Amino acid sequence: MTAYRLASGGLVDRSHGIRFTFDGATLTGHAGDTLASALLANDTLLVGRSFKYHRPRGIVTAGPSEPNGLVTIGSGVRRDPNTRATVAELYDGLEARSQNRWPSLAYDIGAVNNLMSRFLSAGFYYKTFMWPAAFWEKVYEPLIRRAAGLGRTDLPRDPDSYEKSWAHCDLLVVGSGPAGLSAALVAARSGLRVILAEQDFVFGGALLSEAMPIGGEPAYVFARRVVEELQSSPNVTLLPRTTVFGWYDDNVFGAVERVQKGVAVVDATKPVERMWRIVAKHAILATGAEERPLVFGGNDRPGILTASAVSTYANRFGVAAGESVTVFTNGASGYRTARDLAAQGVEIAALIDSRPASGDIAPAGVRLLRGGAIVDTKGRHRVRAVVADRGGFEELIACDAVAMSGGWSPVIHLACQRGGKPVWSEALQAFMAPDVGSGLVMAGAAAGHYLLSECFDDGARKASAVVEAVGRSVSGVEQPVIGEEADPSFTALWHVPGAKSKAFVDFQNDVHTKDLGLAVREGFGHVEHAKRYTTGGMATDQGKLGNINAIGILAGMRGVSPAEVGTTTFRPFYTPVSFGAMAGASIGEHAMPTRRSPLHGWAARNGAVFIDAGLWYRSSWFPKAVEKSWRESVDREVRNVRENAGLCDVSTLGKIEVFGPDAAEFLNRLYCNPVLKLPVGKARYGLMLREDGMVYDDGTVSRLGDEHFFVTTTTAMASGVLSHMEFAAQVLWPDLRVRFLSVSDQWAQMSIAGPKARTILQAVVEDDISNASFPFLAAREVRLKGNLKARLFRISFSGELAYELAVPAGHGEAVADALMRAGASHGICAYGVETLNVLRLEKGHVTHAELDGRVTPDDAGLGRMMGTSKADFIGKRLSTRFGLTAADRMQLVGLKSVEPEKDMRAGAHLLKDGVKPSTINDQGWVSSTCFSPTLGGHIALAFLKSGRERYGEKIVVWDQLRGVETFAEVCDPVFVDPENTKLMA
Amino acid sequence: MAYEYQAVHALDGTIGAIAERRANHLSVHRTTAVAMVLAVPGQTAEAAGILLSSGEFEARFSGPGEWLVLSEVHAPETLAAELSVRLGDFAFVVDQSHGRVVLTLSGPDAARILANGIAVDLHADAFPVGRAANVLCSHLSINLARTGNESFDLVVMRSFAEALVDDLKVMARSHDLSVDFATR
Amino acid sequence: MASLISCPHCGTRPKEEFFIRGDATPVRPALMAAEEVWHDYVHLRANPRGRIREHWQHVAGCRRWLVVERDNFTHEVFGVTDAAKAGEGAR
Ligand SMILES: [Zn+2]
Repeated sequence: MTAYRLASGGLVDRSHGIRFTFDGATLTGHAGDTLASALLANDTLLVGRSFKYHRPRGIVTAGPSEPNGLVTIGSGVRRDPNTRATVAELYDGLEARSQNRWPSLAYDIGAVNNLMSRFLSAGFYYKTFMWPAAFWEKVYEPLIRRAAGLGRTDLPRDPDSYEKSWAHCDLLVVGSGPAGLSAALVAARSGLRVILAEQDFVFGGALLSEAMPIGGEPAYVFARRVVEELQSSPNVTLLPRTTVFGWYDDNVFGAVERVQKGVAVVDATKPVERMWRIVAKHAILATGAEERPLVFGGNDRPGILTASAVSTYANRFGVAAGESVTVFTNGASGYRTARDLAAQGVEIAALIDSRPASGDIAPAGVRLLRGGAIVDTKGRHRVRAVVADRGGFEELIACDAVAMSGGWSPVIHLACQRGGKPVWSEALQAFMAPDVGSGLVMAGAAAGHYLLSECFDDGARKASAVVEAVGRSVSGVEQPVIGEEADPSFTALWHVPGAKSKAFVDFQNDVHTKDLGLAVREGFGHVEHAKRYTTGGMATDQGKLGNINAIGILAGMRGVSPAEVGTTTFRPFYTPVSFGAMAGASIGEHAMPTRRSPLHGWAARNGAVFIDAGLWYRSSWFPKAVEKSWRESVDREVRNVRENAGLCDVSTLGKIEVFGPDAAEFLNRLYCNPVLKLPVGKARYGLMLREDGMVYDDGTVSRLGDEHFFVTTTTAMASGVLSHMEFAAQVLWPDLRVRFLSVSDQWAQMSIAGPKARTILQAVVEDDISNASFPFLAAREVRLKGNLKARLFRISFSGELAYELAVPAGHGEAVADALMRAGASHGICAYGVETLNVLRLEKGHVTHAELDGRVTPDDAGLGRMMGTSKADFIGKRLSTRFGLTAADRMQLVGLKSVEPEKDMRAGAHLLKDGVKPSTINDQGWVSSTCFSPTLGGHIALAFLKSGRERYGEKIVVWDQLRGVETFAEVCDPVFVDPENTKLMA
Repeated sequence: MAYEYQAVHALDGTIGAIAERRANHLSVHRTTAVAMVLAVPGQTAEAAGILLSSGEFEARFSGPGEWLVLSEVHAPETLAAELSVRLGDFAFVVDQSHGRVVLTLSGPDAARILANGIAVDLHADAFPVGRAANVLCSHLSINLARTGNESFDLVVMRSFAEALVDDLKVMARSHDLSVDFATR
Repeated sequence: MASLISCPHCGTRPKEEFFIRGDATPVRPALMAAEEVWHDYVHLRANPRGRIREHWQHVAGCRRWLVVERDNFTHEVFGVTDAAKAGEGAR
């Protein structure tokens, strides 16, 4: 009365025992087993509980479509839920646990759902959890979440690594059964670059469980020989344990290779899974066909398997599904399984054929019931007997396993993933792949050829066509000799009438025939509606096994052909793919690249605290040991720059070198301010607009020669501005003779600012940089002492006397060190972006905190820069439109806290004193804030309606986020040195 | 006060001397003369003719009329000037010796390692010796050139050099890779 | 997962190497064109289904702006041209 390991046979290594556990019990299997075959060999039939009713369930298939045998494999951080036992390779120490049961698999409290099943009909969730709405979050959702789902996952970080790889080939063959091997061999011998992907851990597909000899030797031996030849071909890549899960645009296939999923000890130098993106000139899908279960009363009891699975367990794994097996079939396949079992000495309780007559011949001595059907099964955690019905006469047949065959469906999923709809074949009673062009063709059973000889021929034929299509000649086609094969036909039987108990259509989602009836009666008979209404075809198996029967049943209920019902939409992924495989190596610090400034080492040596700024690490401030907060450091740095001098790394600015006879004209059209007449050796502030008239970016333009410019962008917009310039040059004005290049990485750039900046710099620069010979906005090449060429720009972002010095990146640290040494006696300090921000804010300079895409030059107080007399520039036309010139636009202003110690925050809104906060009363908003050591109080930049007319007004800074209101005085945004005396000194 | 500006390599301090060279090796060039050549609009063929006819330069395709030029013959300080003289009015030349970092990946698995981050078919028939192109490698745009059956040059922006080496180490996790500065 | 674009300068590359700007049909109007014309150029896009022309930039490759003509329903690519060349044809 058990499933058991046969005395001999199968492709398992009986000399090599493997110990594993299932729900804590230690069991033994062999190398070459799947977890499912090993469980069956140990007579462990009950492997899970169903999703809704918590009914006891056992293994149904021997492949990737398994709906029931979902287990959790591994423990701790290496715990994989929802693993199909039928494809899981057995290894020493494998720990498997059943799912969806509590407290144990045999005594599952959730099984009470089964007793309440008439209240849990299709649409139950929609009908029950509808109202009241307030119940959703607090009551229903937690309830559903606890009850739903299969396996559970863990939160700790996955310790293993994953990899993503690209591969390219002339021909991708998916599946290594007779058609796949035949196709791969022909292509390989003809010199094509071939990739053969097989989801199993052994190549051979159906040949591994085939009893018929091929070319005079066992089928698996034949397969092994072919694989050895392929393996030795340098132009062939064999990918075992690899599921091709998706077909994407341009014949790119997604595949996941389980590199180390079936191993006892994970090798840390290798990924556990590898995601392949395979660019294939051609692909042949030799994915075989799926055997359909039969829909009869009690068809979900453990011990009831598809007939082909029973054959596979017997022939490939040497495991009998039971001591006494009832075979229930609607076609030839059941007879074949009966022959396989008889050959292995397994007793056949009865062979029940739903067809009244057929040419198939039962093995000698087997009781054959033609025109019969199973209407019910008996047993609790496993099948003990079936109730067979023939012509209204019921009979109880004792058995401990049932092999069912409902006919075959070609596996066509991949071919339908890009919008092509399956095509119903009346002759084959199955959906076939649509014609999707020559890039992807089906071969063998996947193309509806069920005989071995046809599969070999078809694979070779389809591969030959590919060989010719890539311009080579076919060589090495030879087909093996195969004995006579039986006609593989069947007569569709979508469900067995007269069921005495629930007849399941979708095992994983507990959808039975009555659910489908209810769906049709309630108006959800469309196949896509029925899927959502009954949940049939959802979850991990996506209806691979059950959908076809559901379609047949819907067709019957609606009185139409399955062609008219159609299928639900096929989408990637064919089988579930882990998030780890999809992320690949792009996790943690590898999720994004980081950029390092050439002055990084200098900043680190000077004690910088770094901050992430986009991809960059930027020095944020440079704390001294005695300083307790960042504010203390920043206040000191600001005072020091304003009193002495400071050095700041500005290498992250975008830097672009522009050449050509039309370079000046090109830049003149890019910036809203005039560039044409900029003299050689001079720099100028530059403002770029978008075509809609809003400010895009700001920076500097320096003319190094007549036809040679150097422009800078903000750090944030560096890549955007480059693309924008390329668009302008290549698309808008391709006839302008201009060339440019990002040189951001060539230069280390540092700002030296403060009243002593010139003195310090002159100590290092060979050239005369006195105010007379190097005035404000001078820009030219200079020579540093020690004979290093550099570029010097007298530009200031702080309001101080300031320079930007650019040197070849590798020399940046040494030059910065030299400046610090030269400046030591003058009190120079290193300063970071926090201080940079305070300095610019005190001087009223804008950044992207202000230039947020809604701001015109005039809003930002830069309206006078507009070269309105220029012929054209980007943004010119629309900057004059109504709305952008309205008098009540928000304009840049300064704010000073009335109580200086009270701070303000960016994002706060501005209100007139005494009015209620509302959209109508909104007067503006705060863009940047800081504590100003120079003024001794908190200041801000803000946009205020007609702001420039309102200096002196007291206004409320309303910060709802913090629940704080601050009183501030509106003022000119230039807080320090409005006469620019320091700047020009 | 003496002024000497010792050059710092972008990867100084991030890779150390290795004990032994592995089957696959990533060699980081300490100093390489690199320049970008941009053909004057309309002069691409002339510029290409001069560049490609000289054995002193390795001109690698970057874009139409744009080449990344490496040289073993000329020093970083002089390459750009030398190119300017040779190319005259046909091209603009920009020194990039400090802006780029040059790496050489060699070994039997070189192409396989790169396939973990590069989508271009690197089969010797599809990407033969002498071919160069800008490609995306993992997250970064690099210039890739095949310099031998089993060796490739990767030229990357200086600020991304460390990130690229980190990525390459991950890409080569199962392929026994050593990393060091080139000795020559 | 993947779409491949054949850059006329660099060969076949995955979409990850490109930046897509959008509709390539609007042409920048003359400066003094009516405000409505400018408004159309800057703000209005038809978003049709089927065969479209788009600006893609090969940012990780040659950095050229390309005109990709493709079907946004089937993802079939009909042609890829350098935008400067495509512009010549239009002018
Ligand atoms: Zn390109």
